[in-house]
Amino acid sequence: MDLFGVTRTELRTIVNEGLKGGGWCDLYFEQTVYNDLLLRDSQVASGGFHLDYGCGIRVLNGEKTGYAYSESTDFASLMDAARAATAVAGKPGSFKTGSAAPKAVPPYGMELDWDGADKKELASWLASVEAAIRAREPRTSKVIALMSWSVSHIMMYNSLDELTFDSRPLGSVTVTAIFSQAGSTEQRNVSRSFRCGREMLSDELKETLAAEAVAGLDDSFAARRPKGGKMPVVMAAGASGILLHEAMGHAFEADFNRKGQSIFSDRMGKRICKRGINILDDATVPGNRGSLAYDDEGVPGQKTYMVQDGVLTSYLHDRISAGWYGVPPTGNGRRESFRYNPIPRMRATYMESGTDGTLQDLIASVQKGIYVDKFANGEVKIGEGDFTFYVNRGYLIENGRITMPVKDINIIGNGPKALADIEAVADDLIIDNGTWTCGKEQSVAVSCGIPSVLIKNLTVGGE
Amino acid sequence: MITQEEKQLARECLDFALQAGASDARITLTKSTEDLIATLDGQVDRVTRCADRSLSIAIFAGGSFGSFSSNKIERDSLRTFINEAVATVRMLAPDPYRRLPDPERCCKDAQSGFEMQIYDEAYQHMTAGVRSKSALDAAVFGKNVQALAEGAALISEEGEYSDSEYDVYVIDTHGLECRHTETSFDYGVEVTIQDAEGNKYSDYWWTASPRLADFDPAQCGVTALKRACAQIGSEPLKSGRYNMVVSSNVASRLVSPLLNALNAYSIQQGNSFLVDSLGKQVFSDRLSILDEPWRKGESGSKLFDSEGVRTSAAPIIENGVIKRYFVNTYMSGKLGMDPTGEDAVRPLLKAFPKAGTDESGLMELCGDGILVTDFNGGNCNMATGDFSYGIAGQLFRDGKTVKPVSEMLITGNFLTLWKNLIASGDDFRSCSPKLIGSLAFSEVEFSG
Repeated sequence: MDLFGVTRTELRTIVNEGLKGGGWCDLYFEQTVYNDLLLRDSQVASGGFHLDYGCGIRVLNGEKTGYAYSESTDFASLMDAARAATAVAGKPGSFKTGSAAPKAVPPYGMELDWDGADKKELASWLASVEAAIRAREPRTSKVIALMSWSVSHIMMYNSLDELTFDSRPLGSVTVTAIFSQAGSTEQRNVSRSFRCGREMLSDELKETLAAEAVAGLDDSFAARRPKGGKMPVVMAAGASGILLHEAMGHAFEADFNRKGQSIFSDRMGKRICKRGINILDDATVPGNRGSLAYDDEGVPGQKTYMVQDGVLTSYLHDRISAGWYGVPPTGNGRRESFRYNPIPRMRATYMESGTDGTLQDLIASVQKGIYVDKFANGEVKIGEGDFTFYVNRGYLIENGRITMPVKDINIIGNGPKALADIEAVADDLIIDNGTWTCGKEQSVAVSCGIPSVLIKNLTVGGE
Repeated sequence: MITQEEKQLARECLDFALQAGASDARITLTKSTEDLIATLDGQVDRVTRCADRSLSIAIFAGGSFGSFSSNKIERDSLRTFINEAVATVRMLAPDPYRRLPDPERCCKDAQSGFEMQIYDEAYQHMTAGVRSKSALDAAVFGKNVQALAEGAALISEEGEYSDSEYDVYVIDTHGLECRHTETSFDYGVEVTIQDAEGNKYSDYWWTASPRLADFDPAQCGVTALKRACAQIGSEPLKSGRYNMVVSSNVASRLVSPLLNALNAYSIQQGNSFLVDSLGKQVFSDRLSILDEPWRKGESGSKLFDSEGVRTSAAPIIENGVIKRYFVNTYMSGKLGMDPTGEDAVRPLLKAFPKAGTDESGLMELCGDGILVTDFNGGNCNMATGDFSYGIAGQLFRDGKTVKPVSEMLITGNFLTLWKNLIASGDDFRSCSPKLIGSLAFSEVEFSG
């Protein structure tokens, strides 16, 4: 509380002011210091840090929200913000919510605190990533590498008199490498992000980034666009989990279902994909970018199965939707910063390994189709469930074997239909540790994962 | 609004930086307020009050450079913050190309902040009651709306009204001082409908204006409903090459990659499909884009960029010839090119072959093809210009829409696409800072 200069008595007074306009009031104090160093043209010649500090105050009256924030945490400013947040109702109201939060064990920590970092050493490590890429690949023409790290100190207090603290580290390295060959250029983007200290900056990480940046480069230069159309698609384990996040995960978020917008809003308890498929959203993976000790409503981080053995079993809830559905909150109430009210958001979303063999088995079962090795961004329309994903790298599958490399194409489909069309799930789950950021109204750090899967019919863009 | 005391504090921060050992510095002080009323199904669902301020400082010290920001705008904490910032900059590698812009290029006629006439005093008189009424009046849920298709039901309507005030003040150690102030009134709405078979369709519409008198959200809900209903029964068509007309509300999606490829950062890194194209005929001679940043009273107008450099009204692409890269002070040194400006402020794509052409006129001109009314995902490889985007829209024949289309992709290369430009309209939306009308292209590859 010293960091934010408030006492528990003051917190109670502010919350009581908020309760004049609703049945629930919570406070979210945050101080985040974000740092970055940028390597460009083989030099770390720019960097900086950015301080963000303030408190958001939320008043709930039923499902209605009043929200205000202050960049000053003196008592008078917070009382003003509390009064502004009561504007949604103007009189005392009601709100149902789940039980008080037990103490959570953070699934992250810092062995080597970022605050103690020698920036010259950090810059030197960043430069060594470029050296590792150039050592592996003489066609390297440019490397841009960004190292960023932040530590957020969070304090949450609510009208149940629950006081919760969290310190969230987040370190990331993003590398863009450009390669040239006979007048052609290829660009690769690789990244890693973890909730941990600067112990993440190991030789192993450097070599992993370098290896991933140059992997399959000959194939990328040779890649062409395939003939487009509907065909089976095998998706590689790991980053293909973006399919789960975009095409299915958003439709599992309870706010879209509460409002009747999601394609899954009337499917609870029903079979939505084949037996044996389990899909979950998890805040407890150690050091994962999407992990949280508590969500941004003070609810402990937890594992939430949305699909068990092919049946839809849970949505992802914040306190509002949990109250509306009469279920406990699932710890998915998240926000970008104190400037935003929390809403249901994913954390680490993945599918558990299946029992349908290996990636090679899946490829061998396809007569003519596409193997997607690397996805980039995706987008989904929640109501219709239609999604699109951009394929950075992939291959044609012909007669059960990988043949021509392909790139720069889109795959389009419908989320619920694609889920129902998953024919095989391999036993090779990988949770991808890239710098995934979800942009539903606000930006939050997430991650995703999936084992290799075979989807029987998707539309592939092409010539 | 930024006060005299806050401006004085910004000036003191420049002194703090020099005292800490910086050779030069630039301060950008921003302050904004926003009130937002969100509605769900015709009722107020969320009320939000936002008030922000931030001080950013670019520091040049010992030949090195760094950028920093804080929202703790208090003298003592800022002095400590700036001392730490200068110490951090000294740990970075020197970069001879980092410098403040030449004062001769800097803006000298943005002193009051009101020069662009996009600040409306009416903002000062907005009340909670007026805001709620604006949001609720614009909602269509539960009202007798003729736009809803027969057999369809409106499942959900989420609207969001907001008004805001934004103020920015930029100074540097070479004597730069400029300010920009604007207001904005905004409304956006997304509807979800269900057809008789239980299929859901969603769509959106929005409007915005710097002046309350020109702000008219009344038709947004109806427009969103019409757009959603137009999708009922949509399906992919047979893959093949079609003429493509792109609606003005989404046409900037195809122009942004061109502007990004002209940015000197992309050029210098070799990550642009327009490297070595300055002065060359690259696109169809039907394509001309110019920047129009100085239109008083219009959304997005601005006299200076983030360096304080005066924006310029100049051609970007003229009859298919690349006339301009976007070169800021830093990239000017790196590339050995004259600086221009850091980005397009209000790009205007000129109508061809004649003014007064809209989406319907382009469909008539093309005869048959696909009208794209929305994009769904996709990407562009900036190094090659290869792109692939998901689309939704309408099949048209003899200039008239006949059937809704969805789950299709367009695939191609931007160099080819813009060589195949048939015509462009001037039906751009004035509420957008990108003045891009409807566009028509031939020989576009669609997959379904």
